[in-house]
Amino acid sequence: MGPERFADVVERFTSGFAADAPAETIKQWQEELERGLRRLRNLQGMVTNPVEPKTGQTPRVEVYKRNKSRLYRYESARTHRTPVLFVPNLGISRPYIFDLLPGGSFIEHMTRQGFDFYLLDWGVFGPEDNDLTVDECVTRILPRMARRVLETSGTDELSVIGYCMGAPISASFVASHPEVSVKNFVNMAGPIDFTKVGLFGLWLGKENFNVDRFIDTLGSVPADMVKAGFKLLKPTMDLSTNLNLWWNLWNDKYVEGFQALNKWANEYVAFPGEFFRQWVRDFYQDNKLYRGELVMGGRPIRLERITCPVFVVGAKEDYIAPPECVRALIDSVGSREKEYIELPGGHISLIAGRGAAVHCWPKVSAWLAPRS
Amino acid sequence: MMGDGSGPSQLFEQWRKQFEEGAQVWMRLISQTTAASAPPTPDPTAFWRPVLDQGVQTWAKLFAQSPATPELLTQWKQFLDQWIEAWSRVLGQAMGTEQFAKLMGQSLDQMLVAAAPAKKAMDQQIEQALQALNLPSRTQLTAVAKQLVELEDRIDRLEESISAKLRRLAEREPR
Repeated sequence: MGPERFADVVERFTSGFAADAPAETIKQWQEELERGLRRLRNLQGMVTNPVEPKTGQTPRVEVYKRNKSRLYRYESARTHRTPVLFVPNLGISRPYIFDLLPGGSFIEHMTRQGFDFYLLDWGVFGPEDNDLTVDECVTRILPRMARRVLETSGTDELSVIGYCMGAPISASFVASHPEVSVKNFVNMAGPIDFTKVGLFGLWLGKENFNVDRFIDTLGSVPADMVKAGFKLLKPTMDLSTNLNLWWNLWNDKYVEGFQALNKWANEYVAFPGEFFRQWVRDFYQDNKLYRGELVMGGRPIRLERITCPVFVVGAKEDYIAPPECVRALIDSVGSREKEYIELPGGHISLIAGRGAAVHCWPKVSAWLAPRS
Repeated sequence: MMGDGSGPSQLFEQWRKQFEEGAQVWMRLISQTTAASAPPTPDPTAFWRPVLDQGVQTWAKLFAQSPATPELLTQWKQFLDQWIEAWSRVLGQAMGTEQFAKLMGQSLDQMLVAAAPAKKAMDQQIEQALQALNLPSRTQLTAVAKQLVELEDRIDRLEESISAKLRRLAEREPR
Protein backbone atom coordinates (compact mmCIF):
# COMPACT_ATOMS: atom_id res chain seq x y z
CA MET A 1 0.00 0.00 0.00
CA GLY A 2 1.51 3.32 -1.11
CA PRO A 3 1.52 6.48 1.01
CA GLU A 4 -1.75 8.39 1.11
CA ARG A 5 -1.97 11.78 -0.60
CA PHE A 6 -2.18 14.80 1.70
CA ALA A 7 -5.34 15.97 -0.13
CA ASP A 8 -7.01 12.65 0.80
CA VAL A 9 -6.17 13.17 4.47
CA VAL A 10 -7.63 16.67 4.41
CA GLU A 11 -10.77 15.50 2.65
CA ARG A 12 -11.23 12.65 5.11
CA PHE A 13 -10.65 15.01 8.01
CA THR A 14 -13.19 17.61 6.85
CA SER A 15 -15.88 15.24 5.58
CA GLY A 16 -15.43 13.09 8.70
CA PHE A 17 -16.27 16.12 10.83
CA ALA A 18 -19.15 17.38 8.75
CA ALA A 19 -20.94 14.14 7.93
CA ASP A 20 -20.65 11.76 10.90
CA ALA A 21 -20.21 14.12 13.84
CA PRO A 22 -22.41 13.19 16.79
CA ALA A 23 -24.45 15.85 18.60
CA GLU A 24 -21.92 15.97 21.48
CA THR A 25 -19.07 16.88 19.11
CA ILE A 26 -21.14 19.56 17.39
CA LYS A 27 -21.92 21.02 20.83
CA GLN A 28 -18.21 21.02 21.68
CA TRP A 29 -17.39 22.87 18.48
CA GLN A 30 -20.14 25.40 19.19
CA GLU A 31 -18.63 26.04 22.62
CA GLU A 32 -15.23 26.44 21.03
CA LEU A 33 -16.68 28.91 18.54
CA GLU A 34 -18.20 30.90 21.41
CA ARG A 35 -14.81 30.96 23.13
CA GLY A 36 -13.27 32.17 19.89
CA LEU A 37 -15.78 35.02 19.70
CA ARG A 38 -15.13 35.95 23.35
CA ARG A 39 -11.40 35.94 22.57
CA LEU A 40 -11.95 38.41 19.76
CA ARG A 41 -14.19 40.60 21.93
CA ASN A 42 -11.60 40.73 24.75
CA LEU A 43 -8.78 41.35 22.28
CA GLN A 44 -10.72 44.26 20.79
CA GLY A 45 -11.30 45.61 24.31
CA MET A 46 -7.61 45.33 25.18
CA VAL A 47 -6.56 47.14 22.01
CA THR A 48 -9.21 49.83 21.69
CA ASN A 49 -10.13 50.45 25.33
CA PRO A 50 -7.26 49.36 27.59
CA VAL A 51 -8.20 49.44 31.29
CA GLU A 52 -5.58 50.38 33.87
CA PRO A 53 -5.59 47.49 36.35
CA LYS A 54 -6.19 48.50 39.98
CA THR A 55 -3.21 47.04 41.81
CA GLY A 56 -2.20 47.43 45.45
CA GLN A 57 -5.69 47.68 46.93
CA THR A 58 -5.02 46.44 50.48
CA PRO A 59 -5.50 49.49 52.77
CA ARG A 60 -2.24 50.88 54.13
CA VAL A 61 -0.68 53.93 55.74
CA GLU A 62 2.75 55.41 55.17
CA VAL A 63 4.54 55.35 58.51
CA TYR A 64 7.97 56.55 57.44
CA LYS A 65 9.79 57.90 54.43
CA ARG A 66 13.39 58.53 53.74
CA ASN A 67 14.34 60.00 50.38
CA LYS A 68 12.62 57.70 47.84
CA SER A 69 12.03 54.82 50.27
CA ARG A 70 8.73 54.36 52.08
CA LEU A 71 7.58 52.14 54.90
CA TYR A 72 3.93 51.09 54.66
CA ARG A 73 1.85 49.48 57.38
CA TYR A 74 -1.14 47.42 56.23
CA GLU A 75 -4.50 47.25 57.98
CA SER A 76 -5.06 43.96 59.77
CA ALA A 77 -7.04 42.36 62.57
CA ARG A 78 -3.78 41.85 64.44
CA THR A 79 -3.81 38.46 66.13
CA HIS A 80 -0.04 37.96 66.25
CA ARG A 81 2.01 40.23 68.45
CA THR A 82 5.25 40.23 66.43
CA PRO A 83 5.13 42.53 63.40
CA VAL A 84 6.53 41.44 60.02
CA LEU A 85 8.88 43.62 57.99
CA PHE A 86 8.90 42.59 54.33
CA VAL A 87 12.06 43.56 52.42
CA PRO A 88 11.81 43.11 48.63
CA ASN A 89 14.36 43.73 45.89
CA LEU A 90 15.79 47.21 45.28
CA GLY A 91 15.53 48.28 41.64
CA ILE A 92 14.38 45.89 38.87
CA SER A 93 10.62 46.09 39.57
CA ARG A 94 7.95 47.73 41.74
CA PRO A 95 6.70 45.99 44.89
CA TYR A 96 2.98 46.04 44.05
CA ILE A 97 3.46 42.48 42.76
CA PHE A 98 3.06 41.46 46.42
CA ASP A 99 -0.37 43.12 46.51
CA LEU A 100 -1.39 42.63 42.91
CA LEU A 101 -5.16 42.10 43.05
CA PRO A 102 -7.72 41.33 45.76
CA GLY A 103 -7.78 37.57 46.19
CA GLY A 104 -4.34 37.30 44.61
CA SER A 105 -2.16 39.20 47.03
CA PHE A 106 0.54 37.95 49.40
CA ILE A 107 0.08 41.04 51.58
CA GLU A 108 -3.69 40.54 51.75
CA HIS A 109 -3.08 36.90 52.75
CA MET A 110 -0.70 37.87 55.53
CA THR A 111 -2.98 40.57 56.93
CA ARG A 112 -5.95 38.16 56.86
CA GLN A 113 -3.82 35.72 58.84
CA GLY A 114 -3.54 38.42 61.51
CA PHE A 115 -0.01 39.67 60.92
CA ASP A 116 0.89 43.30 61.52
CA PHE A 117 2.51 43.63 58.09
CA TYR A 118 4.99 46.30 56.98
CA LEU A 119 6.34 46.69 53.45
CA LEU A 120 9.56 48.47 52.67
CA ASP A 121 9.21 50.09 49.25
CA TRP A 122 12.74 51.10 48.23
CA GLY A 123 11.30 53.46 45.61
CA VAL A 124 12.34 54.54 42.15
CA PHE A 125 15.77 56.12 42.22
CA GLY A 126 16.97 58.94 40.01
CA PRO A 127 20.44 60.24 39.05
CA GLU A 128 20.64 62.12 42.38
CA ASP A 129 20.71 58.72 44.14
CA ASN A 130 23.60 57.27 42.17
CA ASP A 131 25.83 57.44 45.26
CA LEU A 132 23.55 55.14 47.26
CA THR A 133 25.33 51.91 48.15
CA VAL A 134 24.34 48.47 49.47
CA ASP A 135 26.28 49.49 52.57
CA GLU A 136 23.93 52.42 53.14
CA CYS A 137 20.86 50.24 52.66
CA VAL A 138 22.12 47.74 55.25
CA THR A 139 23.56 50.10 57.85
CA ARG A 140 21.37 53.20 57.51
CA ILE A 141 18.03 52.58 55.82
CA LEU A 142 17.13 49.13 57.16
CA PRO A 143 17.91 49.89 60.84
CA ARG A 144 15.72 53.02 60.63
CA MET A 145 12.89 51.10 58.99
CA ALA A 146 13.15 48.35 61.62
CA ARG A 147 13.08 50.93 64.44
CA ARG A 148 9.96 52.53 62.94
CA VAL A 149 8.30 49.13 62.77
CA LEU A 150 9.02 48.55 66.46
CA GLU A 151 7.90 52.06 67.45
CA THR A 152 4.61 51.98 65.52
CA SER A 153 3.70 48.42 66.46
CA GLY A 154 4.61 48.93 70.11
CA THR A 155 6.78 45.83 70.35
CA ASP A 156 10.45 45.16 70.93
CA GLU A 157 10.83 42.30 68.43
CA LEU A 158 10.03 41.86 64.74
CA SER A 159 10.13 39.17 62.04
CA VAL A 160 11.90 39.92 58.77
CA ILE A 161 11.00 38.42 55.39
CA GLY A 162 13.47 39.03 52.58
CA TYR A 163 12.51 38.36 48.98
CA CYS A 164 14.94 38.09 46.05
CA MET A 165 17.87 40.51 46.62
CA GLY A 166 15.96 41.79 49.65
CA ALA A 167 16.97 38.52 51.35
CA PRO A 168 20.78 38.88 51.22
CA ILE A 169 20.41 42.59 52.07
CA SER A 170 18.18 41.91 55.07
CA ALA A 171 20.31 38.90 56.09
CA SER A 172 23.31 41.26 56.14
CA PHE A 173 21.31 43.64 58.34
CA VAL A 174 20.14 40.92 60.75
CA ALA A 175 23.67 39.49 61.00
CA SER A 176 25.27 42.87 61.76
CA HIS A 177 22.67 44.57 63.99
CA PRO A 178 22.20 42.48 67.14
CA GLU A 179 20.75 45.56 68.86
CA VAL A 180 17.60 45.16 66.71
CA SER A 181 15.80 42.12 68.05
CA VAL A 182 14.79 39.96 65.08
CA LYS A 183 12.59 37.10 66.23
CA ASN A 184 12.32 35.21 62.92
CA PHE A 185 13.97 35.46 59.54
CA VAL A 186 12.47 34.20 56.28
CA ASN A 187 14.38 34.04 53.01
CA MET A 188 12.13 33.75 49.97
CA ALA A 189 14.05 33.07 46.75
CA GLY A 190 16.99 35.17 47.90
CA PRO A 191 20.44 34.23 46.59
CA ILE A 192 23.08 33.61 49.25
CA ASP A 193 25.83 31.52 47.61
CA PHE A 194 26.53 33.45 44.43
CA THR A 195 28.71 30.72 42.91
CA LYS A 196 25.46 28.83 42.24
CA VAL A 197 23.42 31.70 40.90
CA GLY A 198 23.08 30.51 37.28
CA LEU A 199 23.22 32.62 34.11
CA PHE A 200 23.46 36.00 35.82
CA GLY A 201 26.41 34.67 37.82
CA LEU A 202 28.16 33.70 34.60
CA TRP A 203 27.35 36.92 32.73
CA LEU A 204 28.28 39.19 35.63
CA GLY A 205 31.47 37.27 36.48
CA LYS A 206 34.78 39.16 36.76
CA GLU A 207 36.12 37.66 33.53
CA ASN A 208 33.10 38.68 31.47
CA PHE A 209 31.76 41.91 32.93
CA ASN A 210 33.63 45.12 33.72
CA VAL A 211 31.32 46.71 36.27
CA ASP A 212 33.60 49.73 36.78
CA ARG A 213 33.59 50.68 33.10
CA PHE A 214 29.82 50.14 32.99
CA ILE A 215 29.03 52.44 35.91
CA ASP A 216 31.76 54.99 35.14
CA THR A 217 30.28 55.40 31.66
CA LEU A 218 26.54 55.20 32.30
CA GLY A 219 26.35 56.44 35.91
CA SER A 220 23.54 53.98 36.72
CA VAL A 221 21.83 50.95 35.23
CA PRO A 222 18.96 52.39 33.19
CA ALA A 223 15.58 50.64 33.38
CA ASP A 224 15.81 49.62 29.71
CA MET A 225 19.08 47.83 30.39
CA VAL A 226 17.59 46.02 33.39
CA LYS A 227 14.75 44.96 31.10
CA ALA A 228 17.14 43.74 28.39
CA GLY A 229 19.06 41.65 30.94
CA PHE A 230 15.94 39.94 32.23
CA LYS A 231 14.50 39.37 28.74
CA LEU A 232 17.76 37.77 27.70
CA LEU A 233 17.58 35.39 30.62
CA LYS A 234 14.49 33.75 29.12
CA PRO A 235 14.12 34.87 25.49
CA THR A 236 11.05 32.71 24.81
CA MET A 237 9.13 34.13 27.77
CA ASP A 238 7.21 36.75 25.76
CA LEU A 239 6.27 34.16 23.14
CA SER A 240 4.83 31.71 25.66
CA THR A 241 3.15 34.55 27.60
CA ASN A 242 1.36 35.75 24.48
CA LEU A 243 0.46 32.23 23.42
CA ASN A 244 -1.08 31.58 26.84
CA LEU A 245 -2.89 34.91 26.66
CA TRP A 246 -4.46 33.97 23.32
CA TRP A 247 -5.41 30.55 24.67
CA ASN A 248 -7.10 32.04 27.75
CA LEU A 249 -8.33 35.26 26.20
CA TRP A 250 -11.96 34.08 26.42
CA ASN A 251 -11.66 34.02 30.24
CA ASP A 252 -12.36 37.49 31.73
CA LYS A 253 -10.79 36.57 35.08
CA TYR A 254 -7.58 35.44 33.34
CA VAL A 255 -7.49 38.65 31.29
CA GLU A 256 -7.86 40.76 34.45
CA GLY A 257 -4.96 38.91 36.12
CA PHE A 258 -2.88 39.08 32.96
CA GLN A 259 -3.31 42.84 32.62
CA ALA A 260 -2.22 43.45 36.20
CA LEU A 261 0.76 41.13 35.93
CA ASN A 262 1.69 42.47 32.51
CA LYS A 263 1.64 46.04 33.82
CA TRP A 264 4.05 45.03 36.58
CA ALA A 265 6.24 42.89 34.29
CA ASN A 266 6.85 45.83 31.96
CA GLU A 267 7.60 48.43 34.61
CA TYR A 268 11.32 48.07 35.16
CA VAL A 269 13.22 50.16 37.69
CA ALA A 270 16.79 51.44 37.32
CA PHE A 271 19.63 50.60 39.72
CA PRO A 272 21.58 53.44 41.37
CA GLY A 273 25.14 53.31 40.02
CA GLU A 274 27.14 52.74 43.21
CA PHE A 275 24.59 50.27 44.52
CA PHE A 276 24.98 48.17 41.37
CA ARG A 277 28.78 48.40 41.49
CA GLN A 278 28.89 47.10 45.07
CA TRP A 279 26.14 44.54 44.46
CA VAL A 280 27.94 43.01 41.47
CA ARG A 281 31.44 43.20 42.94
CA ASP A 282 30.80 42.04 46.52
CA PHE A 283 28.00 39.59 45.89
CA TYR A 284 28.20 38.24 42.33
CA GLN A 285 31.93 38.47 41.71
CA ASP A 286 33.50 37.95 45.14
CA ASN A 287 30.67 36.08 46.93
CA LYS A 288 31.69 37.97 50.09
CA LEU A 289 28.44 37.42 52.02
CA TYR A 290 28.63 33.64 51.83
CA ARG A 291 32.39 33.62 52.43
CA GLY A 292 32.01 35.83 55.52
CA GLU A 293 34.24 38.59 54.09
CA LEU A 294 31.66 41.34 53.85
CA VAL A 295 32.17 44.48 55.96
CA MET A 296 29.52 47.20 56.00
CA GLY A 297 29.70 50.46 57.93
CA GLY A 298 32.73 49.03 59.71
CA ARG A 299 30.70 46.02 60.89
CA PRO A 300 31.72 42.54 59.73
CA ILE A 301 28.79 40.59 58.30
CA ARG A 302 28.86 36.97 59.45
CA LEU A 303 25.82 34.89 58.61
CA GLU A 304 26.56 32.55 61.53
CA ARG A 305 25.60 35.45 63.81
CA ILE A 306 21.99 34.97 62.73
CA THR A 307 20.68 32.82 65.55
CA CYS A 308 16.91 33.35 65.37
CA PRO A 309 14.66 30.71 63.75
CA VAL A 310 15.20 30.73 59.99
CA PHE A 311 12.85 29.60 57.22
CA VAL A 312 14.17 29.35 53.65
CA VAL A 313 11.91 28.94 50.61
CA GLY A 314 13.34 28.04 47.21
CA ALA A 315 11.49 27.63 43.90
CA LYS A 316 12.19 24.56 41.80
CA GLU A 317 12.16 26.34 38.43
CA ASP A 318 13.80 29.58 39.58
CA TYR A 319 16.43 30.60 37.01
CA ILE A 320 17.14 33.98 38.69
CA ALA A 321 17.94 32.54 42.13
CA PRO A 322 18.22 28.76 41.66
CA PRO A 323 17.22 26.74 44.75
CA GLU A 324 20.78 25.63 45.55
CA CYS A 325 22.02 29.23 45.94
CA VAL A 326 19.01 30.08 48.14
CA ARG A 327 19.33 26.96 50.27
CA ALA A 328 22.91 27.94 51.17
CA LEU A 329 21.58 30.15 53.99
CA ILE A 330 20.59 27.05 55.96
CA ASP A 331 24.22 25.90 56.14
CA SER A 332 25.54 29.36 57.00
CA VAL A 333 23.37 30.60 59.87
CA GLY A 334 24.02 29.87 63.53
CA SER A 335 20.33 29.16 64.25
CA ARG A 336 19.33 25.94 65.92
CA GLU A 337 15.87 26.07 64.44
CA LYS A 338 16.05 26.23 60.66
CA GLU A 339 13.99 24.79 57.85
CA TYR A 340 14.23 24.67 54.06
CA ILE A 341 11.41 23.93 51.65
CA GLU A 342 11.44 23.80 47.88
CA LEU A 343 8.18 24.66 46.18
CA PRO A 344 6.98 24.36 42.59
CA GLY A 345 7.18 27.49 40.43
CA GLY A 346 9.67 30.11 39.35
CA HIS A 347 11.08 33.27 40.88
CA ILE A 348 7.85 35.26 40.45
CA SER A 349 5.25 32.49 40.58
CA LEU A 350 6.69 31.52 43.97
CA ILE A 351 5.16 34.64 45.48
CA ALA A 352 2.51 35.84 42.99
CA GLY A 353 -0.36 34.07 41.30
CA ARG A 354 -2.66 31.11 41.90
CA GLY A 355 0.18 28.65 42.55
CA ALA A 356 1.65 30.90 45.24
CA ALA A 357 -1.71 31.15 47.01
CA VAL A 358 -1.85 27.36 47.20
CA HIS A 359 1.78 26.38 47.77
CA CYS A 360 3.74 29.28 49.21
CA TRP A 361 1.72 31.82 51.23
CA PRO A 362 0.06 29.32 53.59
CA LYS A 363 3.46 27.72 54.31
CA VAL A 364 5.09 31.05 55.18
CA SER A 365 2.19 32.21 57.37
CA ALA A 366 1.90 28.78 59.02
CA TRP A 367 5.63 28.78 59.85
CA LEU A 368 5.53 32.33 61.23
CA ALA A 369 2.24 32.13 63.17
CA PRO A 370 3.33 29.96 66.15
CA ARG A 371 6.59 31.94 66.37
CA SER A 372 4.89 35.35 66.40
CA MET B 1 -8.72 6.47 0.25
CA MET B 2 -7.45 4.50 3.20
CA GLY B 3 -9.77 3.51 5.99
CA ASP B 4 -7.27 3.06 8.86
CA GLY B 5 -4.97 5.62 10.50
CA SER B 6 -1.76 4.28 8.94
CA GLY B 7 -1.95 6.69 5.96
CA PRO B 8 -1.45 9.94 7.89
CA SER B 9 1.20 8.23 10.02
CA GLN B 10 3.20 7.37 6.91
CA LEU B 11 2.81 10.88 5.59
CA PHE B 12 4.06 12.45 8.82
CA GLU B 13 6.82 9.87 9.16
CA GLN B 14 8.09 10.88 5.73
CA TRP B 15 7.95 14.55 6.67
CA ARG B 16 9.78 13.86 9.92
CA LYS B 17 12.56 11.97 8.08
CA GLN B 18 12.93 14.80 5.60
CA PHE B 19 13.22 17.31 8.44
CA GLU B 20 15.83 15.22 10.26
CA GLU B 21 17.87 14.67 7.11
CA GLY B 22 17.74 18.40 6.38
CA ALA B 23 18.90 19.17 9.92
CA GLN B 24 21.77 16.68 9.59
CA VAL B 25 22.92 18.27 6.31
CA TRP B 26 22.93 21.68 8.00
CA MET B 27 24.88 20.30 10.96
CA ARG B 28 27.47 18.78 8.61
CA LEU B 29 27.80 22.10 6.79
CA ILE B 30 28.27 23.98 10.07
CA SER B 31 30.82 21.50 11.44
CA GLN B 32 32.88 21.79 8.20
CA THR B 33 33.27 25.52 8.70
CA THR B 34 34.31 25.30 12.38
CA ALA B 35 37.96 24.71 13.20
CA ALA B 36 39.03 21.17 14.05
CA SER B 37 40.34 22.27 17.46
CA ALA B 38 37.09 24.04 18.41
CA PRO B 39 34.89 22.41 21.08
CA PRO B 40 32.04 20.29 19.67
CA THR B 41 28.98 22.34 18.73
CA PRO B 42 25.89 21.45 20.80
CA ASP B 43 23.48 19.31 18.80
CA PRO B 44 20.17 21.23 18.64
CA THR B 45 18.39 18.20 17.13
CA ALA B 46 18.86 16.48 20.48
CA PHE B 47 16.25 18.87 21.86
CA TRP B 48 13.99 18.90 18.83
CA ARG B 49 13.85 15.14 18.24
CA PRO B 50 11.59 14.17 21.16
CA VAL B 51 9.34 17.19 20.56
CA LEU B 52 9.16 16.45 16.86
CA ASP B 53 8.45 12.75 17.42
CA GLN B 54 5.71 13.55 19.87
CA GLY B 55 4.27 16.20 17.56
CA VAL B 56 4.25 13.80 14.61
CA GLN B 57 2.50 11.12 16.68
CA THR B 58 -0.06 13.62 18.00
CA TRP B 59 -0.87 15.06 14.61
CA ALA B 60 -1.11 11.63 12.96
CA LYS B 61 -3.48 10.52 15.74
CA LEU B 62 -5.55 13.66 15.39
CA PHE B 63 -5.85 13.40 11.63
CA ALA B 64 -6.95 9.79 11.99
CA GLN B 65 -9.67 10.95 14.44
CA SER B 66 -13.19 10.74 13.12
CA PRO B 67 -15.02 12.97 13.80
CA ALA B 68 -12.59 15.73 14.85
CA THR B 69 -13.25 17.39 18.24
CA PRO B 70 -11.98 20.66 19.79
CA GLU B 71 -9.47 18.44 21.59
CA LEU B 72 -7.46 18.99 18.41
CA LEU B 73 -6.83 22.59 19.46
CA THR B 74 -5.69 21.57 22.95
CA GLN B 75 -3.23 19.12 21.41
CA TRP B 76 -2.03 21.86 19.09
CA LYS B 77 -1.50 24.21 22.05
CA GLN B 78 0.44 21.53 23.93
CA PHE B 79 2.58 20.92 20.87
CA LEU B 80 3.39 24.65 20.62
CA ASP B 81 4.20 24.79 24.35
CA GLN B 82 6.63 21.92 23.97
CA TRP B 83 8.13 23.51 20.87
CA ILE B 84 8.74 26.79 22.72
CA GLU B 85 10.15 24.95 25.73
CA ALA B 86 12.55 23.03 23.46
CA TRP B 87 13.74 26.31 21.92
CA SER B 88 14.07 27.82 25.36
CA ARG B 89 16.35 24.95 26.38
CA VAL B 90 18.42 25.26 23.19
CA LEU B 91 18.88 29.00 23.78
CA GLY B 92 19.51 28.49 27.49
CA GLN B 93 22.25 25.99 26.69
CA ALA B 94 23.85 28.37 24.18
CA MET B 95 23.69 31.34 26.55
CA GLY B 96 25.01 29.31 29.43
CA THR B 97 28.38 28.82 27.75
CA GLU B 98 31.55 30.66 28.69
CA GLN B 99 31.95 31.70 25.01
CA PHE B 100 28.57 33.46 24.98
CA ALA B 101 29.28 35.25 28.26
CA LYS B 102 32.68 36.39 26.94
CA LEU B 103 31.20 37.54 23.65
CA MET B 104 28.45 39.46 25.42
CA GLY B 105 30.96 41.08 27.80
CA GLN B 106 33.22 42.08 24.90
CA SER B 107 30.32 43.56 22.90
CA LEU B 108 29.17 45.55 25.92
CA ASP B 109 32.71 46.76 26.56
CA GLN B 110 33.13 47.87 22.96
CA MET B 111 29.80 49.66 23.09
CA LEU B 112 30.80 51.45 26.31
CA VAL B 113 34.23 52.41 24.97
CA ALA B 114 32.59 53.86 21.87
CA ALA B 115 29.75 55.49 23.80
CA ALA B 116 31.81 57.17 26.53
CA PRO B 117 33.43 59.98 24.46
CA ALA B 118 30.21 60.57 22.48
CA LYS B 119 28.18 60.81 25.70
CA LYS B 120 30.72 63.18 27.26
CA ALA B 121 30.74 65.44 24.20
CA MET B 122 26.95 65.49 24.01
CA ASP B 123 26.62 66.25 27.74
CA GLN B 124 29.05 69.17 27.36
CA GLN B 125 27.18 70.53 24.35
CA ILE B 126 23.83 70.36 26.12
CA GLU B 127 25.32 71.95 29.24
CA GLN B 128 26.71 74.84 27.21
CA ALA B 129 23.46 75.30 25.29
CA LEU B 130 21.42 75.42 28.51
CA GLN B 131 23.89 77.81 30.09
CA ALA B 132 23.58 80.12 27.08
CA LEU B 133 19.79 80.04 27.47
CA ASN B 134 20.16 80.76 31.20
CA LEU B 135 18.45 77.47 32.07
CA PRO B 136 19.58 74.96 34.72
CA SER B 137 21.24 71.83 33.39
CA ARG B 138 20.55 68.23 34.43
CA THR B 139 23.84 68.17 36.38
CA GLN B 140 22.85 71.28 38.32
CA LEU B 141 19.39 69.92 39.12
CA THR B 142 20.91 66.60 40.20
CA ALA B 143 23.32 68.48 42.47
CA VAL B 144 20.41 70.34 44.11
CA ALA B 145 18.48 67.08 44.53
CA LYS B 146 21.57 65.48 46.10
CA GLN B 147 21.81 68.34 48.58
CA LEU B 148 18.16 67.82 49.51
CA VAL B 149 18.81 64.10 50.08
CA GLU B 150 21.76 64.97 52.30
CA LEU B 151 19.71 67.54 54.23
CA GLU B 152 16.94 65.01 54.78
CA ASP B 153 19.50 62.55 56.04
CA ARG B 154 20.93 65.10 58.48
CA ILE B 155 17.47 65.96 59.81
CA ASP B 156 16.82 62.24 60.28
CA ARG B 157 20.03 61.81 62.24
CA LEU B 158 19.24 64.85 64.38
CA GLU B 159 15.75 63.52 65.10
CA GLU B 160 17.19 60.17 66.08
CA SER B 161 19.80 61.63 68.41
CA ILE B 162 17.19 63.95 70.03
CA SER B 163 14.73 61.11 70.60
CA ALA B 164 17.54 58.89 71.97
CA LYS B 165 18.52 61.65 74.41
CA LEU B 166 14.87 62.19 75.42
CA ARG B 167 14.50 58.44 76.06
CA ARG B 168 17.61 58.45 78.26
CA LEU B 169 16.32 61.50 80.15
CA ALA B 170 12.94 59.87 80.68
CA GLU B 171 14.64 56.74 82.02
CA ARG B 172 16.70 58.81 84.48
CA GLU B 173 13.75 60.88 85.77
CA PRO B 174 12.63 59.85 89.27
CA ARG B 175 9.08 58.52 89.41
